[in-house]
Amino acid sequence: MNLFFREMKAARKSLILWCIGSFLMAASGMAKFEGLDSTGESLQQLVSTMPRSLQAVMGTGSLDLSTAVGYYGILFTYLLLMAAIHSLMLGAGIIAKEERGKTAEFLLSKPISRSRIMTAKLAAALVNVLIFNLVTFVFSVISVAKFAKTEDSISDLSLLMTGMFLVQLMFLAAGSGIAASGKKPKRAVSMGTALLLAAYILSIAIDLSQKLEFLQYLTPFKYFEAKRVLIDGGLDPVFILLSIGIVFILTIVAYISFNKRDIQV
Amino acid sequence: MNVIELKNLTKMYGKSRGIRNISFNVEEGEIFGFIGPNGAGKSTTIRTMLSLIYPTSGSALIFGKDSVKFAPEIKREIGYLPSEVFYYDNMKVKDLLKYSASFYKKDCSHRISQLSKMLDLDLNKKIDDLSFGNKKKVGIVQGLLHEPKLIILDEPTSGLDPLMQQKFFDLLKEENKKGTTILFSSHILSEVQKMCDRVAIIKEGELVKVEKISTLKENNHKRFKLETKMPVSQGFFQMDGVQNLEVKDQITSFLYSGNINSVLEKLTQLELTNLWIEEPDLEEIFLHYYEKENEDEYFSP
Repeated sequence: MNLFFREMKAARKSLILWCIGSFLMAASGMAKFEGLDSTGESLQQLVSTMPRSLQAVMGTGSLDLSTAVGYYGILFTYLLLMAAIHSLMLGAGIIAKEERGKTAEFLLSKPISRSRIMTAKLAAALVNVLIFNLVTFVFSVISVAKFAKTEDSISDLSLLMTGMFLVQLMFLAAGSGIAASGKKPKRAVSMGTALLLAAYILSIAIDLSQKLEFLQYLTPFKYFEAKRVLIDGGLDPVFILLSIGIVFILTIVAYISFNKRDIQV
Repeated sequence: MNVIELKNLTKMYGKSRGIRNISFNVEEGEIFGFIGPNGAGKSTTIRTMLSLIYPTSGSALIFGKDSVKFAPEIKREIGYLPSEVFYYDNMKVKDLLKYSASFYKKDCSHRISQLSKMLDLDLNKKIDDLSFGNKKKVGIVQGLLHEPKLIILDEPTSGLDPLMQQKFFDLLKEENKKGTTILFSSHILSEVQKMCDRVAIIKEGELVKVEKISTLKENNHKRFKLETKMPVSQGFFQMDGVQNLEVKDQITSFLYSGNINSVLEKLTQLELTNLWIEEPDLEEIFLHYYEKENEDEYFSP
């Protein structure tokens, strides 16, 4: 438990900053809705006349922009991206930092197994990710409720946040997997970020061209995107299972490779 | 009882670096020196013993248990001072030591205050603000606070001033009296000579020799220096036991091991103007081990 609390304390400052970021994103994004709201239906018409590629880049797709939740759907894409970056950096950093900061010799000479180190660190990262998710949920509910007319936004938002949580878990597991198995833990964060950007760009490419739709399984950003969740009114069970599978496998990879490899000092 | 038992311990990284077939035992209650130049493989051996890295082949037994399989259990009784000490940013000395203590299932607070008082370490300072020597002290306290049965020190004295080194050595000797085994790695011979009972010499990843310090210093090695009227011919001292022969005009010097009478017999054939026979220091013997190794390499086909 000492290691868990140590990690919680070490991550505290960055978590607060990320939460402030989430607040700014939700608040400022929804504030723009206020300005657009007065034009109402016409915005929806305007967007639908835009070229498909522009819509894809903006992330509007088939979202109903006349409702607060629909508009929030655009914002969600960016919140999801933020959450993914946070999770990935946390997952990679929490494992790699001991070797990067040369504290690995200190920690590894203590009577604690590598698996337990991993567990304590992942548990701390999980709590951080969960806090970020809940904070984002609260900010989202408040800022959407401010502009929502009649619709019930909480159930939609909690669906979106559940999806976001699964995406967070995937990137957390990916980050720690990369850091635990890589020969160069110092580069884990940058390698993970490259992977994340590739996944994000792929998700935009899929929006641009329907021919690429079969690739949607490769990028977690497509699994629970707002337009899908809000229109279906639920999370796709295929993607839920896929997410759980990915998290499971990556976590096992992280444990096994961290136990097997030499610590870089 | 052997506290450390290395059996053909081998760790290869890539082609050149690493250690090959290191075998030696360290007995309980011993202060064991582990010596060799920088990059010889001392740290690699130690890190393998602590299973920070895993052996390519061979094994290390600590307290009779495999160092990889029983790693967490073994480490309960090991105190380790790494050669370079780095600690978490933004932590006070006090917090780091408490954190370190929290891994052991005993109350170490008394010991922490005792050790830091002895080493003159300010517990309320931030580690970032400490000098290199003071960081080293944090490392020492961190390694000793749980009263381990085996203390492993990797180049422990760098950065400590002579007075502090002496305090540190006294501390180690005190621990040793209580029965603690100490593995002391260093490239500085004089400190090993001062502290250790036995020493393992390592060079380019291979064990050169394990020897008692007393044997190393035993009288079978003498440094001869003589001044003659005429320069001694190069071939004159071609005999068993003569090493490091140097002839500089009237001054001839060499290291001799073997029957003292046969060399004296030789000396009587010369017209001497002066003669010194001295005990060589460990450094010289040590260098001589290295040079002998090189000669062997020359002569091998």
